[in-house]
Amino acid sequence: MRYLIELGETEARGDLSVMNGVLAGLAILVIGDSHMVTRDYLITTLHNDLAAQGATVNTYGMCGANAGDWVYPTTVSCGRAVRLDKGETNIDRRPSIPTWTIDALIAQNHPNLIVIEMGDTMAGYGQAAFPQGWIYQQVHALTGRIAAQNIPCVWVGPPWGSEGSTYHKTFARVKEMSDFLATAVAPCKFIDSTQFSKPGDWPTIDGQHLTSSGYRSWGQDITTQLDQLAPQLVHRP
Amino acid sequence: MPQSLIRLTAAVALIALAGRTFAADGRLYPSGPPNGVAYLRFVNLAPADVTIVSPAAKITIPADDAHRIGEFDPVTPGVALTGSAQLGEATKPINVTLQQNEFVTVAVTGSADALSVILLRETPSDFNALKSSLGLFNLDQSCANAQLQAGDQHLAVVADVAPGAVGRRMVNPVDVGLAVSCGDPSQTVPVKLGALVAGDRYSVFVVGSGSGRQVVAQRDEQAPFRP
Repeated sequence: MRYLIELGETEARGDLSVMNGVLAGLAILVIGDSHMVTRDYLITTLHNDLAAQGATVNTYGMCGANAGDWVYPTTVSCGRAVRLDKGETNIDRRPSIPTWTIDALIAQNHPNLIVIEMGDTMAGYGQAAFPQGWIYQQVHALTGRIAAQNIPCVWVGPPWGSEGSTYHKTFARVKEMSDFLATAVAPCKFIDSTQFSKPGDWPTIDGQHLTSSGYRSWGQDITTQLDQLAPQLVHRP
Repeated sequence: MPQSLIRLTAAVALIALAGRTFAADGRLYPSGPPNGVAYLRFVNLAPADVTIVSPAAKITIPADDAHRIGEFDPVTPGVALTGSAQLGEATKPINVTLQQNEFVTVAVTGSADALSVILLRETPSDFNALKSSLGLFNLDQSCANAQLQAGDQHLAVVADVAPGAVGRRMVNPVDVGLAVSCGDPSQTVPVKLGALVAGDRYSVFVVGSGSGRQVVAQRDEQAPFRP
């Protein structure tokens, strides 16, 4: 079952001027992988777009992190970043940094909506077999912690990226991963990022990470989708 | 479940291989388990404690229903795993090589006089957070076609599972009475699982014994893989 809401042409391109305004006043916790760990990536674009809608946004990114790394404490080796509300982005590039856990972030931030951006670190790019049993365990562990605290959540899948890089990302595997996540992330809703562009439309710098314009588009498209989904998720008093 | 050195050995091998792979590629980090992953668990369906011995360690699996079924531990696919199952003075060898994404259950049945080790292999593709997955593992040689039934109408959920085989099916997560039969609908053994939970996976084992047919069931547990 897919949760992606079919949008009109204008909205599908992430036109923030036609938003419903339902994100205003929400406390949104955003977590993600390396797409959140460099300035001008989603920690800038998505964070700014959600904040512009009136939400209080706290964004945390851990480079190379799988879903389970937000559940079982470990270390990441290529950096982590945090941006709290209107503050600056702080990036730590030390080679071995302890992970944040979702339980601690929930206790610290008291969100009423959690947005998870993750997929590239788990899709098994370069592997012949799609590791779905392992992915499911990772995803289920993270969504289970969030569900246990009755916090609505939205999972954002990976964008197309580019083929032929050292990341071995392929359009076919991105599609396979997106289709799998659509059935695996409940009770979170799913946003399928491959619906935002055609394969190859958003250029990358290394096969996986987008250019600045790509992150602007991706951030706007996610925000538009969240605006559509939020009324189903968050019940205001 | 106690830490098994089978698992530790696999993890160390994976780490070593991962380091070589990504240093050569210049990639920042892996995407998924570097060399794939498979899962192995041990189930004690014998009437007494069973000890599993690997070249590096041993664990004891109790014979009570709450602890008979171990969790799926991640192992390296393509690597020959060896060991043995021991019950009293009886010993049976274990030799298994798992394929990527395979889930293998090593079931120990019988008694010290007639110990048996049976491998049940699955490569599941029915992972779904909105559904429940029910697996029926037939370890009863006298049950030619095991069937998992639901409700008063004996609706067949999983059917025609031969001895030594496993059948699995996704179902809606509902609170329904489940039972196992071997052909005669009036001769069923109830399954104690409680209400099914969306996203969870379950295993139902049917095993023959001197005291009659026995059913053991539990939610599947899967240990996290840490590259």
